[in-house]
Amino acid sequence: MTAAIRANLPVFAVIAPLFVAFVLPTFARRTRLVEGLVIFVQAVGLWGTAYLARLVLAQGGLPIIYEVGGWSAPWGIELVVGNLGAFFLLVVAGVSLPVAIYASGNLAKEVEGARRRAWFYVLYLLLGGALAGMSITNDLFNVFVLVEVATLSCCGLVSASQEPSGAEAAFNYLILATLGSGMILGGIGFLYIVTGHLNMGFAARALATVWQDYPHVVWMAISFFMVGFGVKAAFFPLHIWLPDAHSVAPSPASAVLSGLAVKGYIICLMKVLFHVVGPELMQVFSLNRLLVLLGMVAILIGSILALGQDELKRRLAFSTVAQIGYIFLGMGLLNVKGMTGALFHIASHGIIKSALFLAAGAVITQTGKERVSELAGVGKKMPITMGVFTIASLGLVGIPLFSGFVGKWYMLLGSLGAGDYLAAAVIVAGSVLCAGYLFPVIRVAYFEPAPADDWQEPGVRQRLALILLAMGIFVLGTIPGPLLELALAAATDFLVFN
Amino acid sequence: MTDIILALLSGLVGGIVIALLPQASNRLRNTLVLLFSVAGAVFSWRVAGTVFSGGTIRLSGEIAGLAWSLQPDPLGTVFGLIVATLWLFATVYSFGYMADEPRQRTYYAFLLIAFSVALGVAFSGSLLSLYLFYELLTFATYPLVIHERNDEAIRAGVKYIAYSLCGAGAILIAIVVTHGWAGSLDFAGGPLLARGGLRPGLGWLLGLYVAGFGVKAAIMPLHRWLPEAMIAPTPISALLHAVAVVYSGVYGILRVVYSVFGHELMAQMNFSRALPWVAGFTILAGVIIATQQDVLKRRLAYHTISQLSYILLGAFTLHPWGLAGAIFHMISYSTLKITLFFGAGIVAKQTTKIRVSDMGGVGWQLPWTMASFGVASLGMIGMLPLNTFWSKYYLMRGSVAGGKWPFALVLIISGFINALCFLPTVVAAFTGDRDQLSREKGGNVTLMVAPTVLLAGIAVLLGLWPGLVWPGVEAVVNSFFIR
Repeated sequence: MTAAIRANLPVFAVIAPLFVAFVLPTFARRTRLVEGLVIFVQAVGLWGTAYLARLVLAQGGLPIIYEVGGWSAPWGIELVVGNLGAFFLLVVAGVSLPVAIYASGNLAKEVEGARRRAWFYVLYLLLGGALAGMSITNDLFNVFVLVEVATLSCCGLVSASQEPSGAEAAFNYLILATLGSGMILGGIGFLYIVTGHLNMGFAARALATVWQDYPHVVWMAISFFMVGFGVKAAFFPLHIWLPDAHSVAPSPASAVLSGLAVKGYIICLMKVLFHVVGPELMQVFSLNRLLVLLGMVAILIGSILALGQDELKRRLAFSTVAQIGYIFLGMGLLNVKGMTGALFHIASHGIIKSALFLAAGAVITQTGKERVSELAGVGKKMPITMGVFTIASLGLVGIPLFSGFVGKWYMLLGSLGAGDYLAAAVIVAGSVLCAGYLFPVIRVAYFEPAPADDWQEPGVRQRLALILLAMGIFVLGTIPGPLLELALAAATDFLVFN
Repeated sequence: MTDIILALLSGLVGGIVIALLPQASNRLRNTLVLLFSVAGAVFSWRVAGTVFSGGTIRLSGEIAGLAWSLQPDPLGTVFGLIVATLWLFATVYSFGYMADEPRQRTYYAFLLIAFSVALGVAFSGSLLSLYLFYELLTFATYPLVIHERNDEAIRAGVKYIAYSLCGAGAILIAIVVTHGWAGSLDFAGGPLLARGGLRPGLGWLLGLYVAGFGVKAAIMPLHRWLPEAMIAPTPISALLHAVAVVYSGVYGILRVVYSVFGHELMAQMNFSRALPWVAGFTILAGVIIATQQDVLKRRLAYHTISQLSYILLGAFTLHPWGLAGAIFHMISYSTLKITLFFGAGIVAKQTTKIRVSDMGGVGWQLPWTMASFGVASLGMIGMLPLNTFWSKYYLMRGSVAGGKWPFALVLIISGFINALCFLPTVVAAFTGDRDQLSREKGGNVTLMVAPTVLLAGIAVLLGLWPGLVWPGVEAVVNSFFIR
């Protein structure tokens, strides 16, 4: 029995959350059971992915290849748990678990009605399953399906808060994201026309030999992928839907949307660009320069826009736009250091931004204040929540000892290695701007007199989730060990072995 | 080994204890603050004892795969001793000065934490740990800068953070480049970049470092945050903005010059020839602007800017005598400047006079204070019975011996302008109506006056017997010039 589970672990990582998601509505009114099951599934998921990651590391980066239904590629669908897959599976599982714990405590205050909350969890698990699938699938059409699942569950999560603006934001997101899905499907279609394959490995091999015969078709395919995934990953200037959607969603949803969902699309784009198209072809089409350039613009504009936001969650949402810019910049450097930085930033930003959104959500539900300027003295009334917010801020700014520093260090190494001094300057400038939009929150919270209102810390589960995430930020910043190894190995896979 | 850990932890632990202590018990808190500060100072002195008797203390590890280390060498130890000793004086002075101020808990908690962090800067054995503590120092001292919590203080705080973070950003890029070129960031193996010799881009790297650390060292034109930060309570202005924080910048530059590039490599670089001119300009411009300031604390701030560049000038001569002068000036200037600030603080507290033009006759009300202030003023000119005479002597000797004689002239001119800057104030303080009531009575005032007088006394003592600190200075110079 255990051997069977172990052998099929890759597919379980995807199927288990999906299966539980389908079961949940049958006992939607029994909130306790729903929450317990969700947390249980996430915890088991974390254990399973940790096992897979250990296996991959023990094999020295050799991927675990799983053929779904026993059909071998190119006919069947392949799941490949390589360095990249194990890395992102770990990130998804590591962030989802604390967020689920937090949600079980806080969701009652943000979403009304037991049934509605159960549906929230259904969407939450669907998103988790889709993200897990994205990280390990090796099939282009499978990517499209998972992207659609993720997109639709994201839409649902955004509109879960019953505010009218939530519906509007979700609708905007839906339109743009569907456009993006169409683009991705188009891109896959063009690639299929040229290569005749949907399996990434086979498509890559075919593309390498035939792309010169169809340069325009390949060019179209790449453009479609860039725009399609760019919209979904909120890559500047396609980010316009993100601030509304991520600020209006319930806080656990904001956390996974900003922390994980956008990263899932980036992982898919990375796979398409590096595994299928390949670094050489990217250079031919100057894609790397485009990525670096737009990444720099995203960092600067996103940060500057974040500076101007008074609404706390909106400020954090704009910050996500800037941080996504970092990841694209690191990707575009086309060297192992830069890529490692980008990948590690996916993990560190995932955990940091979740911590920030959850802390912000706790502050908002406990005090009812949504604006930074109204948060005077929150730090004294809610020391744990704001303490975690402070640690996460230091992490995002990139102070050594916290996870953000590691990613930025590698990206700096990468940009200087590529001789791109402007990129290095922008990476650092982004840090300063990041301090500019996060530290005022901390200053107001701690150093302005508190009003007489009786603000309480959130419940035990929320505090536990926040503390777990804060510890994660600290551990990733000091002893990132396997995660950094996986990121380094994945970056090497992307750039060296192709 | 345990000494260095305890020295670094006592401030941090103390800060946390103070932060968790309820607001009410004032007396208990002051006792605890003193206890932790004394502990930090004692352990720092023990570390110094080990280092100066030839031992090595090393503590190293990895953060995220990057090696860090704490290994005080003579230069770091001298800086650490200055910090640890003067912190005690400033703490005692704070007991008097802050007695009736609000928010004392925050004040003392962060004062102690900043103590730890400043010692961390001093004891760092690699660029990475230096950078870490240098960044943390900004955050640990920020609450002290905005202690007043009014708009002006908040604005000063924003400026302080913005300048410091931009500087730290420049340093980070420079460190990444250094890491790429040298392969290591540890100071223990001699100058990091010396082995690689001259290479293109070295000048830019030096420029990045100097600009980055120059923010806290208040090199013109990166000095703008410092006068604004004078909104902080006087003990903070005295300790942090005349010594600890600004010295962390100066110390960073000394490290870059002697531990990252090394004086031999520096001597071969064209860019390093420009640096003494920047320092010389800052020396003169700073003190000239200082004479124009009417608010005493602002005058002292610009004067700080000028004096910090004395130290940098000594370092930039790349000559053993110049470095000796720089280290001697680090020691002697810090004692005198704190005395001046303490004096200004007592005057402001007891007479509410903050402008130089109002200070006629305060000397009769505050005889001990103004006498110490006068002694320190003489020191800033570089008169003989005071310690700064010796630092200036070695600085000039180093400038001439290093072939940079115009800077000896700069130092002489600066001495004259210093006289114009402070002597009129001192003379005015002791003219006018003699029969005024003394305002130096009462427990809190004694707590302020005693450290002031004591520091002035130490300055005179070091002036008469410079040999007291000479072994330390010699050890620093030897550590960089004789290998």
